[in-house]
Amino acid sequence: MLQQCISAEWIKLRRSYLWIVMMSLPLVSVCIGCANFAMNQGVLKNEWYSLWSQVSLFYGEFFFPILIAICSAYLCRLEHANRNWNMIMTAPVSVGSLFIAKVAVISVLLLLVQGFFFILYVAGGMLIGLQADLPPELPGWLFRGWIAAVAIGVLQLALSVRIRSFAAPVGIGLCMTFLGLGMYVMNLGLIFPHSLLTAGMGVLSQEGLGLGSSFLFYVMNLLYIVVISAGVMYRMRSTDVVS
Amino acid sequence: MNQIVSTRNLSKRYGNVFSVNEVNLSVCEGDIYGFLGPNGAGKTTTLKMLLGLVRPTGGKVKIFGKELEANRRYILQNIGSLIESPSNYEHLTGLENMRVVQRLRDVPDKNVTEALKMVRLEKQKDKKVAQYSLGMKQRLGIAMAMLSFPKLLILDEPTNGLDPAGIGEMRELIKSLPQRYGMTILLSSHLLSEIEQMATSVGIIHNGTMLFQGSMEKLQARSRPAIRIKTQDHAMARELLASRGFFPKVQEDSLLLENITDSQVAQVNRDLVAADIDVLRIEEQTRSLESIFLDLTGKGNSL
Ligand SMILES: Nc1ncnc2c1ncn2[C@@H]1O[C@H](COP(=O)(O)OP(=O)(O)OP(=O)(O)O)[C@@H](O)[C@H]1O
Ligand SMILES: [Mg+2]
Repeated sequence: MLQQCISAEWIKLRRSYLWIVMMSLPLVSVCIGCANFAMNQGVLKNEWYSLWSQVSLFYGEFFFPILIAICSAYLCRLEHANRNWNMIMTAPVSVGSLFIAKVAVISVLLLLVQGFFFILYVAGGMLIGLQADLPPELPGWLFRGWIAAVAIGVLQLALSVRIRSFAAPVGIGLCMTFLGLGMYVMNLGLIFPHSLLTAGMGVLSQEGLGLGSSFLFYVMNLLYIVVISAGVMYRMRSTDVVS
Repeated sequence: MNQIVSTRNLSKRYGNVFSVNEVNLSVCEGDIYGFLGPNGAGKTTTLKMLLGLVRPTGGKVKIFGKELEANRRYILQNIGSLIESPSNYEHLTGLENMRVVQRLRDVPDKNVTEALKMVRLEKQKDKKVAQYSLGMKQRLGIAMAMLSFPKLLILDEPTNGLDPAGIGEMRELIKSLPQRYGMTILLSSHLLSEIEQMATSVGIIHNGTMLFQGSMEKLQARSRPAIRIKTQDHAMARELLASRGFFPKVQEDSLLLENITDSQVAQVNRDLVAADIDVLRIEEQTRSLESIFLDLTGKGNSL
């Protein structure tokens, strides 16, 4: 049943221009990051680590959260338009699997984006002429970044299912990004999804999370994903479909 | 007969207003049930409650003899529906839209081909829906509703947006479904003429309340002619008729007698004349369904 729903979601993504957003926002982040790095090579002496600090700053603190918000809003706008809620909510599948399918699709999309971002980062570094080996922490940053991104994705999906407007949830997402940055700075980084992204991707500190925090990182993300999804499913089941 | 849909005191209240008030809907197997009512009567709200899209504030829904709440997936498996305007993904082609429903309902490819053929969209199936006309979107919506060839098909104003030829075609298609596929059809409309040409059973709803429910014949029986008698003295004529056991309706300047035989008419005439009340006119008044409908709903404007 979940598989049916996921495969229906994939058909809906055909002919959409979402891939332009998914490719251009990481590209812009990496370009700005690389330019910044190239112009400040006097202070940024730590090769790949310094490049990561620049590139991930623009990506993790701005463009990636926006990308997540846009993808989520798009997946929901598909249903808000043309009374499509009427159609999918009368399909013989559980309401839960309809939402989980969207979560699954956004997770795969975000994984692709992370992969693309990785390629751009490496390509950017090589163009600049970095000689050293890639940082061993890199896979961890990318993976934890993805996990946190899925948590943010679920949060954004929840907003977009509820709010019919496309722009409003994206705007709220932007505000939450800044809020998340503030909370990270105040050392509350592990209790808010957007700060989890900052922490997980090693944006502001590349020292790694340590074992305890690392555990907490995964627990918190999982908690966000499960609790928000459960809330959305409960609401979808118990309220009238507005179409 | 086997009841496919039955509701008991089904109600929906928005704020203090009942959009649907204690409706007892009953649709039997093989019926084409016409759900008739003017704009805002509560048709869409009722149909949405049958599909679980809107939660009733009171009453129960039973479909295929099972409670909706507890058997949602089983029931939805056997219903196809088109509510309000048609649903579709505009950036996809007609065929891709069908595929979305195909995945959700897990039906074979041949259903897709057949449903598209039935609404005559095979040639346009590879066009993006954004480029479809209103009528084509409506037909696609109906194809999507029929895709699983369900036991029960619920169509909310199915001829919306179709041109006269399209309406005729859709009417023939809908009429053929019960015999061809054993479907039961529940369709709503605000056009009496449309229902009259398709339906075998009728429910008339107005302001959320069911005013009439029964077979088409039962509704048509109400359209038997009445006799209109115009006399010089209204009040006296009524008194006299009452003493003979007739209780006519007063209509403008005349009296209206329903369900009256020819010999009774002759007798009434004789009595009136004998009592020195001049009879000015005796005429037959055929009541159209339209006027019955207007009577029931008390609505003077177009329906
Ligand atoms: N979500 C809602 N909130 C408040 N009132 C509503 C809501 N949905 C419907 N109504 C009211 O319920 C009444 C019945 O609406 P409904 O859509 O069922 O009518 P209808 O018979 O389908 O009319 P139409 O022929 O125009 O489609 C209307 O007065 C409408 O304003
Ligand atoms: Mg309606």
